[in-house]
Amino acid sequence: MDIALLGNPNTGKTSMFNNLTGSYEYVGNWSGVTVEKKVGIFKQGAAKLIDLPGVYSLNPLSKDEGVVTRFLLDDPFDRMLNIVDASQLERNLHLTLQLIEFGSPLIIGLNMIDVAKNRGIQVDVEKLSSVLGVEVVPVVARTGRGCKDLAEAATTPYRETKKQFQVDYGEEIDKAITKLEQLLQGESSHSTRWLTLQLLEGNPYVKKYLQSYIDMADLDGLIHSTSRAVLAGSEVRTIEQFIYKRRQAAIGEILKETTEVKGNSGQPLSEKIDLIITNKWLGLPIFLCVMYVLFMLTFDWLGFPLSDALDAFISGPITEGISQLLDLVGASKFIHALVLDGIVAGVGGVLVFVPQIFILFFFISILEDSGYMARVALVMDRLMEMVGLNGKAFIPMMIGFGCNVPGIMAARTIETPRERLMTTLLTPLMSCSARLPVYALFVGAFFVHQKALVVLSLYVLGIVVALILAKIFSNTLLRGETSFFVIELPPYRLPQAKALWKSTWEKGKGFVKKAGTFIFAGSVIIWLLSYAGPGGTNVQMDDSFLAMIGGVFAPLLAPLGFGTWQAGASLLTGFLAKEAIISTMNIIYFVPDEAGLQGILANTFSPLSAYSFMVFILLYIPCLATVATIKKETGSYKWTFFSMGYALAIAYILSLIIYQVGQVFGL
Amino acid sequence: MLSMLRKGEKAIITDISKADELVKRRLLDLGITEGSEVCIKCKMPFGGPFMLESCGQCVGIRKNEASCIKVEGL
Amino acid sequence: MVVNIIIGGAIFGYAGYALWKFISRSKQGKCAACDIKNSCSSNHCNSSK
Repeated sequence: MDIALLGNPNTGKTSMFNNLTGSYEYVGNWSGVTVEKKVGIFKQGAAKLIDLPGVYSLNPLSKDEGVVTRFLLDDPFDRMLNIVDASQLERNLHLTLQLIEFGSPLIIGLNMIDVAKNRGIQVDVEKLSSVLGVEVVPVVARTGRGCKDLAEAATTPYRETKKQFQVDYGEEIDKAITKLEQLLQGESSHSTRWLTLQLLEGNPYVKKYLQSYIDMADLDGLIHSTSRAVLAGSEVRTIEQFIYKRRQAAIGEILKETTEVKGNSGQPLSEKIDLIITNKWLGLPIFLCVMYVLFMLTFDWLGFPLSDALDAFISGPITEGISQLLDLVGASKFIHALVLDGIVAGVGGVLVFVPQIFILFFFISILEDSGYMARVALVMDRLMEMVGLNGKAFIPMMIGFGCNVPGIMAARTIETPRERLMTTLLTPLMSCSARLPVYALFVGAFFVHQKALVVLSLYVLGIVVALILAKIFSNTLLRGETSFFVIELPPYRLPQAKALWKSTWEKGKGFVKKAGTFIFAGSVIIWLLSYAGPGGTNVQMDDSFLAMIGGVFAPLLAPLGFGTWQAGASLLTGFLAKEAIISTMNIIYFVPDEAGLQGILANTFSPLSAYSFMVFILLYIPCLATVATIKKETGSYKWTFFSMGYALAIAYILSLIIYQVGQVFGL
Repeated sequence: MLSMLRKGEKAIITDISKADELVKRRLLDLGITEGSEVCIKCKMPFGGPFMLESCGQCVGIRKNEASCIKVEGL
Repeated sequence: MVVNIIIGGAIFGYAGYALWKFISRSKQGKCAACDIKNSCSSNHCNSSK
């Protein structure tokens, strides 16, 4: 059985999904965490649950909202589970009514009854169920209360017992429904009533769907004649508004019967917090402080000592153990070198950074879960507006700090195509966690006393370059279309330990997994290339194939301060995955541990060329997975190649300036 | 106009028709339309967005969009 | 000697397999990175819309 999970944004749909399925799904406290539908299996294994993006109405405004309408139109499913926020019942019921009109079996999970109670709203669940003619199960998704009942109700076979609620839209709309019924001649399996209402409301997906059965002219004629008839003698201006008002009136009646409001219980805590966090003057400084603490923790206070300890463990006992084991089984010199200089150096060099990456992901998860992200969008909007974007574009960028791929996916929540494209193109400039090991390595070698600050400067540089490019793009390539910004600011919620851990693990898992698969394979290949050369095997590193390949790029990179074949070779592998740069360097410089590598680097790089190198790594190209995602999201080779090309150009120019100017100042 | 309200002031929206279509739709989705009571929670500096509160939820909206919405003070 | 061939074969075999899988996954983009893609009935993964 397939069950579709639907609901408004921020109603706890995703935490419900996690509770019901046991599998993991990204929970975030801002609109648009679910940017593509995801499927989970119910704990009892009886059914599949499909998590869809949150929508306010079935008539979509942005691309991610369109996913829901398309799903309802095209995909087969057996039942709908509508999560409704009890504290915002009035707004939530608009979607519920549309789902009832759609006609598939429906169950309502009435979430956040605790929040509603705190705000003095008492919902009579049984009454609501009988009025709507839909089974309603009260739940608290965050604590998991009632989830068992809901899972049971959702998976038990459906019995149609009660008559479902119908909104009275008046005679004219009923006529239009009959008319469409005639035009369709029974060809569509969907409810004609739903199709008619969505068509009249201007739902582009429904219109396109109907066009495959009915002539465009007939459809337009129907819309036109109905809206004229409906709007005559009424003070509403559009048919969309008319339908909205009818629904609103029906909801008013439902609420009167089913809820009781017992006065306001004073200013909610959330608003008190907002007095400070989104304060006119404190907003931006607080955001910067939060980011600073995040970087200090990741790179300095907590992350660095942990990574150091792990490094000592890998280069000490582990290397030792493997070496002895190989001796024991009588492995040859070749295997010895392959395992220790290739695999342990390459994979171990990346694994060392796991603590730092998990700390970073942990903080990004906190920001998402608590509801702070939406505030960041609000605080940043003025700045983003100046460069032709809106505050919402900042959220994909923040997510891009973790990994660029989900960041680009999150750009779908942006309503206007132009801003969406710009955000997609610029998100790769955000320094993702895979770039972090490179910085950690270099700051450890060259900037011991200003570690966090130097890394922070790179993150900021990424943002600044993105903003400047946004300004340039919006004045040249991507002109037109005014931007707009309306964002829901969900109440703050205390992130839950379990959800936080899951979300951190899920994000960090990919990094560990990649170390075991791709980085492993890459290390073997890189090591082989460094081991063999035109002159045979076990050659001097400088005579190896790797040196030849890297040497091609070295002259090009010389003006940037790192014209060595080692830098050229590692940048090449970095296109496949950024952390491969570290593996490559570890193998090239023949050292099994971080400390040893740092020592050697100090001889080949100066602090200035190290910084220039880091800037180049930050900007030079989106990794392969990101490029593939850009291609999918933009659907255009032109923009995909553009995203790689401009990045390379910017990186080269900036590194050149930094190195050359720095040299003039004698750095 | 909504944009003229000061922080903490409450008002009722009387005419939203001048606002951009997309803005209107999104506000409608959030249950904010003519007749809704709104309260300005804060204004971001340098002509930045406003934070509004309406029926228990908070919404961010730009200043120039707010200046297209007519309100009546309470 | 046999040990060397076994270890070497295992390492190179696995490396080749992992690399091939990674490249084909990356090329597919977003849905490929999804762990539940086998149970996902979405056809949006394949369309570039």
